[in-house]
Order: sequence, then structure tokens, then C-alpha cells
Amino acid sequence: MSFQLNCPNCGKRAVSEFTFKSEFKNRPSPEAEFSEWTDYVYFRENNMGRQIEWWYHRSGCQSWFLAERDTLNNSDHKSFWYGDLGQHSKKSDGEA
Amino acid sequence: MAKRITKHQNFELPNLGEEISFTFNGKRIKAFAGDSITSALIASGSTLLSRSFKYHRPRGAYDVFGQGHESLVMVNHEPNMLADRIQVQNGMVVKSQNVWPSVEFDLGEVNDLIVPMLPNGFYYKMFHKPKWLWPIAEHQIRKVAGLGKIDVAGTHVHRRYEKHYRFPDVCVVGGGPSGLAAAKGALDEGKQVLLIDDNPQLGGHSLHSIFPVNNCENKSLNGIPENQAVQKLIKELAQNPNLEVMVNTSVFGLYEDNLVAAQSGPDLFKIRAESVVLAPGATDRHLVFENNDRPGILTARGVEKLIMCHAVLPGEDTVVVTTHDGGFHTALLLKGAGANVVAVVDGRESGSAGEFEEQVRNLAVPVYKGLTVHAAHGKKRIKRIDIGPISGGDSHKSFDCDLLVMAVGFKPQVNLLSMGRKRPEWDSERQILRVTDLPSGMYSTGEVHGSAGFARLFSEGIKTGKAAAKKKSVESSKRSEDELIMALPADIESGGKNHFICKCMDVTRFEAQASIEEGYDQVESLKRYSSMGMGPCQGKACHEAVARLAAKDTGLSSLDAVPTTMRPPFSGVSFGVLAGRAPHLSPIRRTPLHQCHIDLGVKFLDAGQWKRPDSYIDPQIEVGYVRNGLGMIDVSTLGKIEISGPDAIDFLQFMLPGKYGKFEVGRTRYSIMVGEDGILFEDGTISHLEQGKYYLTTTTGNQDAINSLFQWWLLVEDFDVQVKNLSLANAAVNVTGAESREFLQKLVKIDLSNEAFPYMHCRQTSISGVPVSFYRIGFTGELGYEIHFPAEYGESMWNHLMTEGEGFALNPFGVETQRILRLEKGHLIPGTDSDALSSPYETGVGFAIKDDKADFVGKAFLQDFKKRGIENKLVPYQLEPDDPIPDDGVAVLEKGKIAGRVTSSRLSPTLKRGIGLAWIRNEMAETGNNFTIRLANGSDVVATVLDHSAYDPEGLRLKS
Repeated sequence: MSFQLNCPNCGKRAVSEFTFKSEFKNRPSPEAEFSEWTDYVYFRENNMGRQIEWWYHRSGCQSWFLAERDTLNNSDHKSFWYGDLGQHSKKSDGEA
Repeated sequence: MAKRITKHQNFELPNLGEEISFTFNGKRIKAFAGDSITSALIASGSTLLSRSFKYHRPRGAYDVFGQGHESLVMVNHEPNMLADRIQVQNGMVVKSQNVWPSVEFDLGEVNDLIVPMLPNGFYYKMFHKPKWLWPIAEHQIRKVAGLGKIDVAGTHVHRRYEKHYRFPDVCVVGGGPSGLAAAKGALDEGKQVLLIDDNPQLGGHSLHSIFPVNNCENKSLNGIPENQAVQKLIKELAQNPNLEVMVNTSVFGLYEDNLVAAQSGPDLFKIRAESVVLAPGATDRHLVFENNDRPGILTARGVEKLIMCHAVLPGEDTVVVTTHDGGFHTALLLKGAGANVVAVVDGRESGSAGEFEEQVRNLAVPVYKGLTVHAAHGKKRIKRIDIGPISGGDSHKSFDCDLLVMAVGFKPQVNLLSMGRKRPEWDSERQILRVTDLPSGMYSTGEVHGSAGFARLFSEGIKTGKAAAKKKSVESSKRSEDELIMALPADIESGGKNHFICKCMDVTRFEAQASIEEGYDQVESLKRYSSMGMGPCQGKACHEAVARLAAKDTGLSSLDAVPTTMRPPFSGVSFGVLAGRAPHLSPIRRTPLHQCHIDLGVKFLDAGQWKRPDSYIDPQIEVGYVRNGLGMIDVSTLGKIEISGPDAIDFLQFMLPGKYGKFEVGRTRYSIMVGEDGILFEDGTISHLEQGKYYLTTTTGNQDAINSLFQWWLLVEDFDVQVKNLSLANAAVNVTGAESREFLQKLVKIDLSNEAFPYMHCRQTSISGVPVSFYRIGFTGELGYEIHFPAEYGESMWNHLMTEGEGFALNPFGVETQRILRLEKGHLIPGTDSDALSSPYETGVGFAIKDDKADFVGKAFLQDFKKRGIENKLVPYQLEPDDPIPDDGVAVLEKGKIAGRVTSSRLSPTLKRGIGLAWIRNEMAETGNNFTIRLANGSDVVATVLDHSAYDPEGLRLKS
């Protein structure tokens, strides 16, 4: 892992500056079944290919952002703020 | 014999610099400042550099570029240095490695005599059974095998290793004509260029070439020999301010996104380039024949370098074996230096003579066509060689000689192009292994693709450099015949006992063939079974021969010749370089009170990145200060987060498992934190300082993590809250002990009496005009006040308190003291006494959870934990007086089986016995129960489960 990640604030930086949190998932509703919670906490999609992930620019601006990344080769990833998720999803759908 | 020459017929010899001396195995050797260790040794007549790994065969200089293992020596007590690469310095102490008693007379050589008894896979087969034999055998084997000795105690070698970073537009690896041209191409496009070479000078093999330059697109270079052309090019580039040159620097790895890793002495360079141009060139191909490892057998480019850069003629009576005109170039240089060239043996049957072949023939040197070397004779130095047909059979002729020069084509240094990603393939037109498909952003040029001739290398380099600058692909162009190296290998076809393929690990063609017979007929398994390519050079010298000969010996066509996977590191890397400091990535953090601690003669403790006081005198004594009077500790490393805004209380209700419905101003509460998984990971306090303004403290280790966690939750959940991280803005001390109230009351205007300021309350006031906040909490188990104040008053506040405390026997105490104090009270530290499986209920902090409130972090899992009940429990325990103190982490036993573990264990000076916290099974956890702790030395000690804490279980002192 030596690739560079784009921070929406700081631009391209070595991945060692960032902390990976998880794949992007929506938190279950408070009323959800316990099995839904265990899925949320313990299960990962482990996609081979593109997925949206949470990243934190630990050694930089200390911001949280989302990145769509190809887990196979880290190529051509796109970083954006959480607030722009809807816009990003729309665009990705359009491309597909 | 080898000697230093003073003039050469074909060119001007270099200035060798001043005369100096060094020692080699205790012998004084004269040298010039410009010498490498190898060139100086050869000039002084030393032939032996080292002994081989397994058979302890004598080894001498071979390629003179430090590719193989031959030149590994100890330099000034540092092992595994490449004599070929190291410039001599006055007084340097150089020693051979892996020899006993000496390199000249090595008893390990007996291994060579018993080769028939050491077949391939010897270690696997011989010591497989009986099992008890291996440890004994291993000990003996390790004594005779292995490399230099590390100065473990550090008595001789003191080095500071550093990491450096570079961000050029274009990084060019290799400073030969191709690399120089690529750098020029990129510079002409206005780019910042970093040019790296592992030799002391730029120029590559052109430095040793008198081939005249023809048809070069840079007209000013035409008509002069390559060595002058390259100097001219270097001089031109040196003027360019956009160029940085690093010599004596080896690139050992290429990683994702154009990360180039390079070592230069004790320095590691991490280079991130927009584009990388690889121009690593090629080295002379390995030739396999009987005794091909003997001293006195050198590569052509090595010999040329010795003559032209060091004015050293490495032998007198010389035979050159070749398959291309370059071999005749070497013969001519040897002749010009005064050597007696006995013969040139040319593996090619026919074909028109090249320019240098003509010149050599004109000098009446005998040339033998269609033949190759069959065998070398002589042990510590070759005396004679036999030549014969490539197909094998009887040898035709023998020559007496002390130098055999191998110029049988080139082996491109494809390692960096491959690096575990792209496997090289055999190119039958060019007769080399090639990597043609590179990851994007990477470019390659020059001899690594078999290109030849200065003009070709120059134009190709310029084109590649320009493409790299523009991040465009390079269009390949057709090469004419004289623009390619095109030299066939010339190994004799039959294998033999001493035909060394891999010299590092002493693997012969005979052994390789036997391994193939045994079924290891895939190159990767062949490598692992025979250990070919697994020595110090990691296959740099032999991978091409292994691929070619393995293909041949398994009956495959040369097209199917594949080398084993090439991975980093390309060259040897010192551990120090990898472990070197990176202070900007992991800074040392000091509290605002740091200097105060130093002035008090503190012993520091590393707590993550922080330097914290461990103790000032002795933790056991410091505990007494707190228990009997007054102590003060620096707790500035606590995380301190201010939370305010309309939704502040809702946010806390959501983040923390406690209930904060009736949380009045001036109150302080203990709080734990759990993740969504319900696992305890943090505890601290939360105080309601002013209306709507809350102050949360976290443990030292979680200072940054909790701030970032809060930021994340504020992003995904809808709270109107401001979170202010005051961790570094505020310093803090804890003043604790029965006298603390009386002492502090002198300094503040607020009423500190128990009635006005009870336990678990907070107040804001000032000390000498400095705004401070007081938190009455009790980690130590005594009456105490945590005082937070602006960090800029750090030292003066500490010193003020120390001075004012003189009448009160105020003493500072450290973190280790605090650990004992809290253990006497049975307080846990999350992460020390809990782990990633610890439910808060089992950990004994269930009282801090109120799960009957609306949605909060971890609610679902906490409810589940509660339902499942308690299996294991964290309990405080004590030992009998005089019982030994267990180490942290030892096991708890029940009926001889592991039933838990001790997480913290100390001698309590207050109770004069061992105390601690342990995880045990719930049914064992009843108060007063005994359980067994197994000590590290194997003996057992019996512990008693305590109800609450060992010291002041009622908490009377705390609340007094």
C-alpha cells in the first residue's frame, strides 16, 4: 500500500497520512432487529472493485471524507465530502 | 599479475587523487583516493576477496559493480558492505567475512572436497530424521554458513539513520547515456528532474567506452569517443537548476503510484514522482563452465572500469571470450594498457567482423571462432583455460593465462521493471529477457531493452524523457541491427560438477539438473529446492542463466525461459535504514511542564508519542507522599474536549452510555465510552462547567481518536453542536492527598470545603490571576483536585504550586506511582485492563450504563450483553504479604487449566503486599474466593478476590 489518496482539502497525499475507517454503510434504525446490527458492526462487503469508503486525514487537515476506490488496483479514485454523497451517487449511476 | 598502469595508448588515464592506505585482513594496502576497495586490492595484487557460502571456495572480484556476493566484506566493523561500491578512505579497516581462520587458508574449504556428499536438498534430506539431530546440525551449519557479524553491542558502529523525501516531476533511475538523455528530455520540457545512480560518477558504462559516436541527433557529440561524449553531456546537464543528481544511491524498490525507495549510506529516500524513467542498463551475462567461479575470471565491463577509471590492469596474460564486437573493444583496451592478450575466443561461427575485431586482428592477436570456454584451472587464481566447441565434447586447445574476460552478451537489469508485478519474457530477436508492459507513469529506456550504440541510446532516452514529462506513451521505433546488442549466450551445452549457475549459494548446473530429475522442473520450485537465486545478490547475477539453462534442461525452447519473480529489495538494505527515524510522522510530544520535570531529575516514560514522568525518586516512596500528605502529577496529556451548542446534552446522551437528564452546572460525572459493538474502550470525566458548556476528559492514548470520532458522528448525525479540542491548549495537574484542600485554599478565593465543593463537582476560579478550573475527582483514592489551566502558563503554574507547597511537604509523583495508587483503589485503565472483547458489564463498569434511554452508540449490543449475562469478570485481588509479585499478563489457573489472566500487578507499599486486577471466570469471582496465578518462573501463588478495592474500600478519604 503506497498509493496516494486525494483529500478534498489538501489534495494528493501518501496514503500513510490517512486512517481508513470502513466501507461506507448506513447505520441501522434504532428499531432494527439485532441481526441487522450485527451485520452492520461485523460484516464487510469486501468488494473486488469499486466501493465507497470512509477516510480520515489524520496527519493533515483532520477531516473526514468519502472516497470511491477500486480495491483491486487503487486506480482512479474519487474523493468527496459526505454532504456531496447524493450528488456523487447520481453521477456514478449516470456513468453506469 | 595485476598492476597499476601509468599510461594507455588509446586514451588519457584519470587523475587518481592523493595516495592513502587502508588495511585488508590486517595487511596495509596502498591506494589512491579515487579507488574502490576492490580496485585498490586488485592493484595491490590481492586476488581473494571472500569465500563462497557453502563450499568456501575462493572468490575474487567478478563484475566490479557490486552485483554479486563476491565483494561482500566488513568495513569498519559493518558487515555486508560491497567492496566494489565503496570508495577507500585513509585508515579504513576492511575484513573478509565467512572465513576461518583466514581468507587465504579457510578450513571450511573441506566442504568443497566433500561436494559429492552434499547433494542438492542436502539439508532437507540429511537432517529430516531423527528429529533430535536438527538442532545440533543447525548449530554447526550456522557456524560455517552465513555472512558477516553484526556489531550487536554497538561498540564500534554509531550511525544515525534518517529518512528523506523528494517529489520530483520525473525521477530517472540510472545515469548512463540513456538516463542522462532521458533527464535531458524531461528538463527540456521544463520539468524538475531527479537523476539517481548507484555509482560514484554518472556516465554508466560509457565512461569505459572508446566506441566513436556516429549519427547522433546531438551533432556536437558526433566523432568523439563515447567516454568524452558522455562527459560533455554531464557537463551540459549540470548547468540546469531543475536537475538534482544523487550518486552512490541505490534504488532498491519501486512501489504503487511511483514511489521510489533509495538508499544512500545511512539515508533512506522516499521519492514520489509524477513519472519514473528506468534506465538501469545491462551487465555482462554470466557464463557457465567448469570452475567458472575462480578468481581471475572477470566481466568485460568490470575490466574496462578497472582500466579506465582506476588505471588498474587486473592481469597480464589474458584471454577474452565473447560473442559480440564489444569483447574485441575490451581486448583492445587491455592491449593498450600493456596486457598480453593471448587469444580472443569468439562463440560466433561466422558473420562479418566488426570495427574492433578488425583492429584486434590487425594487432596480430589470435582469434578463435565458433568456440567457448570449457574449463578453468587453478584454485586461488586461474592458471590455464581450455576452449572447445559450444556443443561440448573434447576441448580443442589450452592457454596459460591469469585473466579470463567474459563478454558473452548482456543481461538487462530488468529487476526494477519487474518488481513482482510484470514477469520478464524472452525476446528471441534480441536474445534477452524483457519487460515490455509497465504500470502507467513508468517508463524505461536503453540497454534494458537491448538497445545499443550511443546514438540510439541518446535518441531513445530523449524521446522517453519527453514522453515521461508529458505523461504520454512512447511510440516504439524499429531498431536497425547495429542498434541492438544481439549477442547469443555461449555456455557449453553439457553440464558439469563445478559449473556454477548461482555463485552466491554455490549451486551448480549439475545440481540444478539433478533437482529437475527429482521433479522440481518449474523454475519457482527449482529455485526453492536448490536455493538458486536466494543468496545475497537475490538472483541479480544469475536469474538470466537460471531461466535459460532451466528451460534448456527441462526441454523447453528458449522462448519459454522465465526467471523467478523479482521482488524488492533490488540491492541490500541496512535494517537501520528501514527503521530510521521519521520524526515528522511520529513526533515526540512533550507536555507544557516538560522542563519542570527535567529540573526535578525525572525518569521519563514513553506513553505513545508522549514523554511523561515515570517517577522522580522511586514510585514506592512517591506512593507514600500521596497517602500521607500531598502529591502532584502532570496530567496535561489527558484529552480535553469542550462541547457546547443547543444540542450539546443530546449529543452527550447519544455518544455516552450514561444518562445526563439532570446534569447541573458544577457537577462532574464519571463516564465510559463504548463503540457500536458495545465494547468498552475509554473512560473519563464529563463536567458541566457553565450553562450549556461541557468539558470532557479522555485518557492520554485516546486524545486524538476521540476528537476524530466526535467529528465523524457530528458529520453523519444531525446535532447542532460545537466540539472544541482543548487537549493541547490546556495543561493540567492533579493535586492529591489529605492536605490538598488546606494547601489549595491558600491560593484560591472559592470555598473548597467539603460542603461547598463536594466530591464529583467542578468549579472555575483563578490562581495568581490565571484562570483555572478545578475538578474534584479521585483516581488516586485520596482527596484531590484536578486543575486545568492554559498551557502557556504551564511552567510558571507548576513552579508556583511547588513553591507554595513548600510548607506542605508537596512532592511530585509520576505515572508509575499513579498506576500503583489507582490499583490500590481497584480502578481499571481501559486498554490495559480491558481489551477488544470486554463488555462493560464484565469489566465492572456496568453502573455507568443507562440503557433505558433513546438511541445511543452501542445500545443494541449493550442490551444483548446484558441479556447474555456475565461469563468472565475483571476483579481486584490481593496476595499474602511476602508473596512474589506476578508479572502483568500472566495466567490464572483452575485445576491446572487456564481460566483467566492478570492484567495489572504491583507491590502495594501501603498494604505491603501484591495487589492487582485479573480476568477470571464468573463462578470464581465471588468475594473472598481464592484463585491460582502461575508466575513466569513456573511457580504458583494464591490470590484472594476483593469486593471493592484493597485500599479505603468505603471511599471515606476520597469524599472527606
